[in-house]
Amino acid sequence: MSDGVLARGFPAAAIRARARLGAQAAFPPDSSYGREVFGGAQVDSADVIESARLVPPVFMPQRLARLVELGAEPTFEDVELATEIGGFRSALPVYLSAFGSTELGSAGLGTAAGVQAARLGIPMVIGENVVPMNGRGGGHAALLERIQSYAAAVPPGTGGVVVQQSTEDADAEVWNLVYSDPTVEPLLATGRLGFELKVGQGAKPGLGGMTLLPAVVAERVRDRFGVRDVSAGGEPVLVRSSTPGTFIEEILRQQVRLMRNNFPRARTWVKLPPARDVAVAARTAWAAGADAVTVDGAEGGTGWAPTAFLNHVGLPLGECLLRIGGTADCLLASGGVWEGSRVVKCLALGARAVGLGRAALLAVAEDREHGLVRLAEALALETRMLISALGKYTTGAPDRADLWFPADVSRRRDALRPCAQPPTGGRSAE
Amino acid sequence: MNPLPPPAAEHLSSPVTRAALRVAHRAMAAARALLDGEGFTELPLPVIGPVTDPGARGAKQVDVDYYGHRYKLMTSGILYKQAALLGFDRLYSIAANVRAEPPETAATNRHLVEFHQIDVEIAQGDRDTACGIVERLLTHVVQHVVETAADELAELGREVSVLEKWVRGPMDAITHREAVDRLRALGYQQNSGTEIEWAGERLLSDAASRPFFIVDYPKGSRGFYDRESATAPGSLRNFDLIAPGGFGELVSGSERESDYGRIIARMRETGENPAKYGWYLDVLRGGVPVSAGFGMGLQRLVRALTGLGAVWQVTAFPKLPGVAAP
Repeated sequence: MSDGVLARGFPAAAIRARARLGAQAAFPPDSSYGREVFGGAQVDSADVIESARLVPPVFMPQRLARLVELGAEPTFEDVELATEIGGFRSALPVYLSAFGSTELGSAGLGTAAGVQAARLGIPMVIGENVVPMNGRGGGHAALLERIQSYAAAVPPGTGGVVVQQSTEDADAEVWNLVYSDPTVEPLLATGRLGFELKVGQGAKPGLGGMTLLPAVVAERVRDRFGVRDVSAGGEPVLVRSSTPGTFIEEILRQQVRLMRNNFPRARTWVKLPPARDVAVAARTAWAAGADAVTVDGAEGGTGWAPTAFLNHVGLPLGECLLRIGGTADCLLASGGVWEGSRVVKCLALGARAVGLGRAALLAVAEDREHGLVRLAEALALETRMLISALGKYTTGAPDRADLWFPADVSRRRDALRPCAQPPTGGRSAE
Repeated sequence: MNPLPPPAAEHLSSPVTRAALRVAHRAMAAARALLDGEGFTELPLPVIGPVTDPGARGAKQVDVDYYGHRYKLMTSGILYKQAALLGFDRLYSIAANVRAEPPETAATNRHLVEFHQIDVEIAQGDRDTACGIVERLLTHVVQHVVETAADELAELGREVSVLEKWVRGPMDAITHREAVDRLRALGYQQNSGTEIEWAGERLLSDAASRPFFIVDYPKGSRGFYDRESATAPGSLRNFDLIAPGGFGELVSGSERESDYGRIIARMRETGENPAKYGWYLDVLRGGVPVSAGFGMGLQRLVRALTGLGAVWQVTAFPKLPGVAAP
């Protein structure tokens, strides 16, 4: 295998095209119509999700039920994409992932992405680094501005804001700051605020956050985070690193319980890294009362990480989802998501919704006003077509039986975990 | 919406405020007398420090710039009380604390951002020891106030026979589990794994005629320093004292975790980064006495004694959650 999972690179050009063109970009260029015959490209990838194919059945009992309900043959337009994500109503099975601590994520792009996510009626996650990395005074204003601009644009009864915090950032008291700020009251009062305990991150599981710092910022945070110069002499290259925080089952369980105790008006989310015991951790978090567990695959974006981690550490998202298996609890997936086929495969593997991170950032960078909205438009169209092709009409309906994996991968999976026959009714979105 | 405090000049010159503050004065004198008589030493505690009790229920800490270091205003004295047991085996303080409570707590009538606790800690004490002192303390305060502030109580319309009934005989105790069951029987859907919610506590308080303890709060509802039961894991060896008549919680207390390794794990269970507790962990590493203790909210106590509707009424310069005030 010459390419690692992440060595494929992220299809920035295709994403930017969608940000410009919207649903049109879900199809080959119209100049090709009638002149080219299309076939699928050969996929040679260690990415479990990328290598899987969605396989429609001949017999479609759920489609029959929809036909009876509609009194007419269902089309892909009849697929219902609205769902509940971690306690929030969402217009799509999609949420905006945290951008984290990079300069790109901290700049105005974050606010622009948030406003577009709000217009779409999908939840937004804000990375905790918005506060400490931008200094105390400025950070407070920046975080609340992100929340307020989202709240001003989101339709009533839909969407939600989720604010991340992890071990070292607990010192910044991000959640307490948000919870006690009067301007957040409109979201609190309508049950649309959540807090996400960030146990780990996709691209560098087991390692804490890392950021390149200008010297002046490095001095300001030196007492709270480790700062190391990794240059070979000459101009300093200052890397801020934080620890991921120590967890065992009881620590995770009690942290979730304390979040629910301390912030009873907010939802509780837990973000897990692509670790080998991700299934146990997910079940522990749900049992403790988490409204959502987010799994960030090793394909997930990161501002900065050692190269050894990018290609060699952590489970791909598909393997995480396979290990967790089907669940009635809210499982969210992020990692390499930008178009509908990956969305539907994640739904089939048990996710309730998927996170857009890097893709959202690229889309907004392409067009600050409409880029993310158009990207979501293309993704939504694809998702509808794919789910309908499976003979299903809600986002909770796709399941493991709808997926085929290449023979060798499939045999390994089946050897590790015999695939139980899914219930004929499929899985409910509720 | 509950009435807000009037402007400072009007509030300070009000006969109600003056009478209430005289009751507060008598209550503090009585508390000191009782505790001194039981061998306690009054020890003023720090107002600022590098780290404070993380608190619960969403309250935010308030930062101060301390010679370039980011220090905190103390939300409670627990860290210092435990450390101070190395010098005194029985200590108390009437300690000023600051908690930027969530704005919605302004509606409970018993939250202030800046408030005082009669803060008590007993080396080698257990929960029964601490609860016994709570009972004697409240009894003595009530008796002393009834004797020395009878005119003020009359001026405020407080019936002294109600207070006398409070301290006649031992105070009952129920478990958190039993409190949850009572609330559910009353039709209130209390979560069995969390703090008793504000509205639920009000119901329990209204239904009572005398103060009572709630014990054995579940882990995940209180701070890392409340000791987990060795015989009932997941249950804490802690307690609250609830005043009747809707006045609610007067006291929170517990046996304390004091083992260094245990405290580290408990800090992680409450989402804390142990590194920021450096000075406290250094003290623990060397060993501190096992202990139990509590904090009795001074302003809540005085509100309960006077029968006034809101805790700001018994405070000279009240700061309500979410309201900017001098």
